[in-house]
Amino acid sequence: MKGLLFNIKRYAIHDGPGIRVTFFLKGCPLDCWWCHNPEGISPAPVETERIDRIGDREFHSREWVGKEYSPEELLAIAEKERVFMDQSGGGVTFSGGEPTLQYDFLLETLKLMKNAGISTAVDTSGLVSGRRIMDIAEYTDIFLYDIKLFDTDLHKKFTGADNSLILDNLDNLLQNGESVIIRVPVIPGVNDTINYIEDLRSFIEKRKKYRILQIDLLPYHKTGSSKYRHFGFLDRMDGVEQTPVAFMDQFRELLSTTGIRVKTGG
Amino acid sequence: MKMTDRVLKLREQSLKAIETISAERALLVTEFYASDEARGLSAPVTRAKAFYHILKNKSICINEGELIVGERGPAPKATPTCPEISLHSSEDLEILEKRDKVFFKSTAEVKRVYSEKIIPFWKGKSNRERIMESMTPEWIDAYQAGIFTEFQEQRAPGHTVLGYKMFHTGFLELKEEIRDALGRLDYLSDPDAYQKSEELKAMTIACDAIIMFAERHAEALEVMASSTSESERRKELTEMAAICRRVPAHAPETFHEMLQHYWFIHIGVITELNPWDSFNPGRLDQHVYPLYKKGIDDGSLTSETVFELLGCFWVKFNNHPSTPKVGVTAQESNTYTDFCLINLGGVRPDGSDAVNDMTYILLDVIKEMRILQPSSMVQISKKNPDRFIYKALDIIRTGFGQPSCFNTDAIIQELLRQGKSIEDARNGGCSGCVETGAFGTESYWLTGYFNLVKILEITLYNGIDPRSGKQIGLKTGLVVDFNTFDDLMIAFSRQVNHFADIKIRGNNVIGKTFAAFLPVPFLSLLLEDCIANGKDYNDGGARYNTTYIQGVGLGSITDMLTSIRYNIYDKKKVTWEEMLSAMENNFQGSEHLQYELIYKTPKYGNDDDYADEQAVHVFDIFYDAVNGKPASRGGVHRINMLPTTCHVYFGSVTGATPDGRIAWSPLSEGISPFQGVDHNGPTAVIKSASKLDHLRTGGTLLNQKFSPQFFDDEDSYLKLTALIRSYFSLDGHHIQFNVVNADTLREAQKHPELHRDLIVRVAGYSDYFNDLGEDLQNEIIRRTEHNDF
Repeated sequence: MKGLLFNIKRYAIHDGPGIRVTFFLKGCPLDCWWCHNPEGISPAPVETERIDRIGDREFHSREWVGKEYSPEELLAIAEKERVFMDQSGGGVTFSGGEPTLQYDFLLETLKLMKNAGISTAVDTSGLVSGRRIMDIAEYTDIFLYDIKLFDTDLHKKFTGADNSLILDNLDNLLQNGESVIIRVPVIPGVNDTINYIEDLRSFIEKRKKYRILQIDLLPYHKTGSSKYRHFGFLDRMDGVEQTPVAFMDQFRELLSTTGIRVKTGG
Repeated sequence: MKMTDRVLKLREQSLKAIETISAERALLVTEFYASDEARGLSAPVTRAKAFYHILKNKSICINEGELIVGERGPAPKATPTCPEISLHSSEDLEILEKRDKVFFKSTAEVKRVYSEKIIPFWKGKSNRERIMESMTPEWIDAYQAGIFTEFQEQRAPGHTVLGYKMFHTGFLELKEEIRDALGRLDYLSDPDAYQKSEELKAMTIACDAIIMFAERHAEALEVMASSTSESERRKELTEMAAICRRVPAHAPETFHEMLQHYWFIHIGVITELNPWDSFNPGRLDQHVYPLYKKGIDDGSLTSETVFELLGCFWVKFNNHPSTPKVGVTAQESNTYTDFCLINLGGVRPDGSDAVNDMTYILLDVIKEMRILQPSSMVQISKKNPDRFIYKALDIIRTGFGQPSCFNTDAIIQELLRQGKSIEDARNGGCSGCVETGAFGTESYWLTGYFNLVKILEITLYNGIDPRSGKQIGLKTGLVVDFNTFDDLMIAFSRQVNHFADIKIRGNNVIGKTFAAFLPVPFLSLLLEDCIANGKDYNDGGARYNTTYIQGVGLGSITDMLTSIRYNIYDKKKVTWEEMLSAMENNFQGSEHLQYELIYKTPKYGNDDDYADEQAVHVFDIFYDAVNGKPASRGGVHRINMLPTTCHVYFGSVTGATPDGRIAWSPLSEGISPFQGVDHNGPTAVIKSASKLDHLRTGGTLLNQKFSPQFFDDEDSYLKLTALIRSYFSLDGHHIQFNVVNADTLREAQKHPELHRDLIVRVAGYSDYFNDLGEDLQNEIIRRTEHNDF
């Protein structure tokens, strides 16, 4: 069995507890405007131009974004980082794209990791069938779970998908006793409003009895924009500046009243 | 805690003081050697009397407001020279004065004294000239080609650190020990008894000299006390005078006495000769803790006094720049740092966690003082608490380059492997950049950097140095005739052995010149077993003796060999002819090949076994060529892997290389990857570096540049701590974090005047960014930044 990945990051320190390896699985059912990994959206490999520089000289080459790996190959990569995981309480994180889109591959790899005693995390949008997410949960120690918007219409507009399944899945996971880190991209012009913070606060307040470990607030950065140019994608965030620090602080403070640890930047 | 106004003022004075040459010591030593008194004496007694003469006649400097006294020169940063070691010519003084960075100014008077008295007397008689005359043509060829450097050419052997005993022993007590040793001499059956008696006699004179020197300070302080109208200062001066009457003659009994006691010893060592790495109090938190505790408990000390005394103590180190060099080195020498490395933490002699209150106080002192010297490090054992590492990270994050992080458990295993007792190993640590030693019991010399990259270059040219066209190596065959990669490795191994043998033969001669002509009776008092053995530190008197050769360019040579293996033998992308021709043309016209070599070839530092195998192989070849070979004062030669700034010099003599590196540019430093080629993050670098067997070395150096964001919150501390502990659990010896932002550095290049406080970690030590040469500055900017992780 093979899965398609568009990146593997060692010393990942913002994707769950400890020092981790993050595997970026290709393909995503959502189409978020602010996506900072647009090359991960398509489920197929993308050919692109790579430019390397020596001094002022440029060297152009073609390269594929998206490479196939077997679960065993991913385990071998994770094993290389074993000492760091052990020392830091880290593990592996499956991100994307939307990792659950490659369901069979993800499940197989998660089993393999768990069997090797490696802690697992899945960074998901939640847009996956209810049965599948519960199957995945069996081999997942922590979910990193996005909550982008509560308003269904806005969610559809900015991500291309309905949010009811997403929210249902989250509740099912929580009720099943799963550990969850809530991740909230804070996007200017999309959800950077007091109303949204208030909604989020009461949403979490109602679910405090479950295992919500932490809330990560992720400010919007323009890091994706050069990628958009590079891949020739339309950048719908053109002209949007990064989320002001003051707003992030205000947001964090309000959410802190839930008593759950809130971190900016994950 | 904050520094007091007194300390801030002393610190400011030290920062503002201009580095100058002082001819005082040179004059006094010349005066002594020219006198009747110097005739007909044994070498140790000559040296002891010269030492006495200097300390008897040198000017006493007591700076306003200071609480710890003693300067090597007549004023802060007035730097004495050692003509008996290496003689500055008038041109050298000009070069030192005129160079942009790390200059030393000379007055017209100094220049006159030099040309009229010092130079005429010492010309042809300095040890540097003695060494150069004694070396073989093969040695000279290799030295001039940049295969290796020679540490003892301009400075005396050193790298040695004060141990527990001398913090608790007065020199009067040492005189008793000497008397006993003299009494035990067996003239019937020990053919060396007479030499021993001369050495012991010299040691007695050295004891008298340092006690007399302290008393001269006491007298000066008393005079100052009687003439000052300010009652507070009068009280201080009187107390300081009393301290100088007690130490170092007697063992210190108070915290203040102990600091002053050490400082007299420090000044003694760096006045006797100009040993490498000045001198070093070593495990300072361990040594001063009992008297600190006693003072706090009986109410004679307050935390404020402790902090102020330590601040005053710190400034003294910064007042003493490194030895001014001569010749080519004068042009290239890149630092004022004299590599005094204070050790904190680690374990006690019984193996338990040694972190104490004083450890944390000293970390605070380092943070508040923020000066170049002394340098500092934390010894991290698996037994030390995380809090200790967090406190160190608090300082590291400020981008000041201190402290660096060392693995106590590895240091102990390194020392045990070398045959030290478990207690001596636990009392050890590192000095200089990263050099392992048993403190107070070991004489460990570094003898020179060894250019592994240049040796491979010479191998590629069948023993000819392409820079000079001269055959300086063995004829190991033309590379085009090597059918396999292994054939090349065999040839390279033969060349390494050839040059290591040349270096070691030289070391064994040079070591003996120091034993014969330049014994150090004062330093010998401080190292255990020299008195009991009646033998000099320079002649194998210490309990342990180790002689090091330092390998340089591991990352570069790994990438070169990997490129050859990958592109020529395994993938057959290029032929030897194409590769050599591209290198000879410095990749002009073969830009695409250079691109392939840089971007499409496996590199060390990415946890890629294909590349890292070559690192391990080179390490083993170097180890086998050096380790265990006998050395001049007993003990054996061993290896360590550190460059200081020598990777810049070694790069400047090495043409373009098969890893795509252009001619004459710097090599990789320590065991770090070549600048910028590690693209898998710090964990991959650590994995690559830990494939080497650090425990078979006397130190390795790994530099990791981090942007300040890596230190943002508690979580990042936790992760950095885990990163350090991971490396150390893999037996890594040392890791240092260079926390700085590249834009700031570029800005500092444009506007040095606005960034005079900018300190960066260079390689095992920190330096002011402005004092670095432009190439070194550029390199520091280039080193991989991890802020995109």
